[in-house]
Amino acid sequence: MKPVQTLKISISGVRGVVGDSLTPDLLVRFAQSFGTYMGPRTVVIGRDTRTSGEMVKHAVLGGLISSGCKVVDLDIVPVPTVQFMVRNLRAAGGIAITASHNPAQWNALKFIRGDGCFLNHYQARELIDIYHQGEYRTVPGRQMCEPRRNARAVTLHANAIIEKIGKLPARGKKLVAVVDSVNGAGSVMAAPFLESLGCKVVTINSKPDGIFPRPPEPLPQNLTDLCHAVRRHNADIGFAQDADADRLAVVSEKGLPIGEDFTLALAVDFVLSREKGTVVVNLATSHVIDDIVKRRKCRLLKSKIGEINVTELMMHENAVIGGEGNGGVIYPAVNMGRDSFTGMALILHLLAQSARPVSQIVARMPRYAMHKAAVPCPQELVVEVMDRLAREVSGKNVDRTDGLKIQTPKGWILMRASNTEPILRVVAEAGDPESAAALNAGFREKVESLIRSAAAR
Amino acid sequence: MNPLKISITGVRGVVGETLTPHLVVQFAQAFGSYIGGGRVFVCNDARHSAAMVRSAALSGLLSTGCEPVDFGVCPTPGMQFALIGSRASGGIAISAGHNPEDWNALRFIRGDGMYFNSQEGDALLDVFHAGNFTKTAWDEFKKVHIKRDPFGAHLKKIRSVFDSDRIKKRKFHIAVDTCNGACSEAAPRLLESLGCKVTVIHDQPGSPFPHDPEPTRRNMQTLCAVVKAAGCDAGFMFDTAGDRLGVVTDRGEALFEEHLLPLCVMLQMQETPGTVVTNLSTTRAVDDAARAAGAQVIRTPIGQAYVAEAAFKNRAVIAGEGSGGIILPAVQNNNDSLAAMAFLLHHLARRRVKISTLADKTPRYEMRKHKAAMDFTRIYSSMQNARQAAAREFPDTRIVLDDGVKLEWRDAWLHLRPSNTESVIRIIAEARTAACAENLLQAGINLIS
Repeated sequence: MKPVQTLKISISGVRGVVGDSLTPDLLVRFAQSFGTYMGPRTVVIGRDTRTSGEMVKHAVLGGLISSGCKVVDLDIVPVPTVQFMVRNLRAAGGIAITASHNPAQWNALKFIRGDGCFLNHYQARELIDIYHQGEYRTVPGRQMCEPRRNARAVTLHANAIIEKIGKLPARGKKLVAVVDSVNGAGSVMAAPFLESLGCKVVTINSKPDGIFPRPPEPLPQNLTDLCHAVRRHNADIGFAQDADADRLAVVSEKGLPIGEDFTLALAVDFVLSREKGTVVVNLATSHVIDDIVKRRKCRLLKSKIGEINVTELMMHENAVIGGEGNGGVIYPAVNMGRDSFTGMALILHLLAQSARPVSQIVARMPRYAMHKAAVPCPQELVVEVMDRLAREVSGKNVDRTDGLKIQTPKGWILMRASNTEPILRVVAEAGDPESAAALNAGFREKVESLIRSAAAR
Repeated sequence: MNPLKISITGVRGVVGETLTPHLVVQFAQAFGSYIGGGRVFVCNDARHSAAMVRSAALSGLLSTGCEPVDFGVCPTPGMQFALIGSRASGGIAISAGHNPEDWNALRFIRGDGMYFNSQEGDALLDVFHAGNFTKTAWDEFKKVHIKRDPFGAHLKKIRSVFDSDRIKKRKFHIAVDTCNGACSEAAPRLLESLGCKVTVIHDQPGSPFPHDPEPTRRNMQTLCAVVKAAGCDAGFMFDTAGDRLGVVTDRGEALFEEHLLPLCVMLQMQETPGTVVTNLSTTRAVDDAARAAGAQVIRTPIGQAYVAEAAFKNRAVIAGEGSGGIILPAVQNNNDSLAAMAFLLHHLARRRVKISTLADKTPRYEMRKHKAAMDFTRIYSSMQNARQAAAREFPDTRIVLDDGVKLEWRDAWLHLRPSNTESVIRIIAEARTAACAENLLQAGINLIS
């Protein structure tokens, strides 16, 4: 058996298990690499609530300061707040210290560039190259600067969202929202933000101590506490965040998770009801978005998978909204990245302007089901198998933007090679679970026979 | 020049060149692993690079399960005093003391406030080299605490040990040069609480150093001018850590740093005589001052850690080095410039004399110093040659080999030793007359060439 890999240096940052692979000297070197990349300018840092956060933060400070960066330390804040403050302070970049939805023993550095987006693939590769070269920019001791604390970031971020999207209409009874921040970075912002937006707020799991009471990924099976709380408080809606508060899941007034795909669907529907414009999602996002965008007579573009690919296409196409099907809402008027607070504001507005409760709004949307599976495939055969499959399927239903996506009358299939294991991941979406499973199984059979025949030669 | 020195005084280097955040993290991890967790006090002087060094040290400490207490800008002796009687397991002082501004250092301190001795230093280095540091599990991390009023208790202790009432009555006017270092707040605060009128220069922590922070005569020229112009009773200069003290008399003359310890020993002997500890390179005037009271002088290798340890073991009443570092065990067993200043004011107040009068009475020798710069790779082989040459050319002389080579005569001596902090061999000669000292110094230079 392969040893369990506890360190992952990739285009999405450096991630590892503390007390094991994520050591302070590794972190210092990565921060030095980023400082070298950014030059002696302002760099904003923030962290989620993980218990290792202070250790990681000080290592990052040491590395950045030694490269002459002027560091603004936001301490515990949501990741979207770090992204917001990078733009707000016109900083050269930022580092978010968070392992997002990974368990509590993990931590990570995520690198943000001056426009508030994460580094894209070639920028990340350049950063990793600096790291491996080991030659870092250093300034003489007398040019080093003490980090500056900024305690207003959360307020500035909240105000910016409310300024762009507006307060909830004051008429009638206030909406009641329950928020589960998983004792993560969202804890420090959720209540004051939603109150100033014009809600009644009930918070659960809002102690920012980094001891996660549930797995931090906001999947339906992790939201039982929230579902109970929504029912108990007779709330209109429940929101669940992950540890760094970029992703958002929604629980209906009945206390049932609506499914991650519908987070983005609700937000897109609201934004397009106010302004027409281009929408960008990734290839793996549910076609519920396609239907909504079509109904609103707007343009939908699909990007490669990965948040930065969505945001870069959004910037290029001047999109009004975009995101990912995993609960990542990107509303560029506020932030060029997934932002659960922006998502909450958009969805609450939708709720306020609609006469129906969440469950009914969702029920009126088209329903799809996804089925995910994997096929073992040796690394060296991946390209050949993809190419042969693409040739077998007729031209205009094939999309090679990222892996291989095939549109069929029953639904769509997406196949991509895993970055970490010798497998091909196959996702199929269709009108109901049985059809999705059948679609997936049929396709997998074809793939397996192709692999066999390719391996035989 | 080898700008990184790993020695008994800790690890020091030029920031960005050799003292990298990576090295600091690893030393902090080694320290945290060696002391096995617990509270660790951390203080720094006011160098800009402290921001980097402190962060890296805190990260290394946290990763090994320590619970750091951040003293911020605080004199090293202030933090050392706070360790005494605390339940902390140790401390790290981030200060390159008398080194120029682009230097910084980590100095490792035990739970009792004293520097690591040579065995402890060696053990720490073994942990550092093995690189197998303690790694805290994710749910056992401690938090960083911030220490409020980090040196208040220290100043209080100093006021209680010395005759504060008498000092207050004299209403001294004192000029102070804190070199924009860690004593910028502590020194004026202590003096004001002792009823002194204080004229301060260079008390802006974070501003560039106005001169090299070593309290030598050359670096006290501005302070001399201030003392003269303002008619002060004395002037005191502090290095950036607060380890070492420089003194300017009421006549506006800077006291040669080698003359401070004999002066303090003389005063101490007249009040409470007892054992004196100093290093091999410090003026023999110390022996003369001690002999007047029939007290014993114990000599150690060069370095505060050796002197402090011997002072502690031998229950010395005073100890110190010719560099301006004074240990007053009544306050603590560490170099303490603030205590030394209060000690001098105490004697000025009780005796109702001027400091220039006391300085004039101090026994004195003529001392000459030379730094022979050479490539680091040649230093120790040159020392070997010098030992052999000394034995050959001075066959009937007492030769001490504890630290470099020291030749001793009845009223003169010659010492050659590799520096702890620079790539040089230090040559020091002392004799009754200037001519004799010059001759000896030349003889010393000849020994290594």
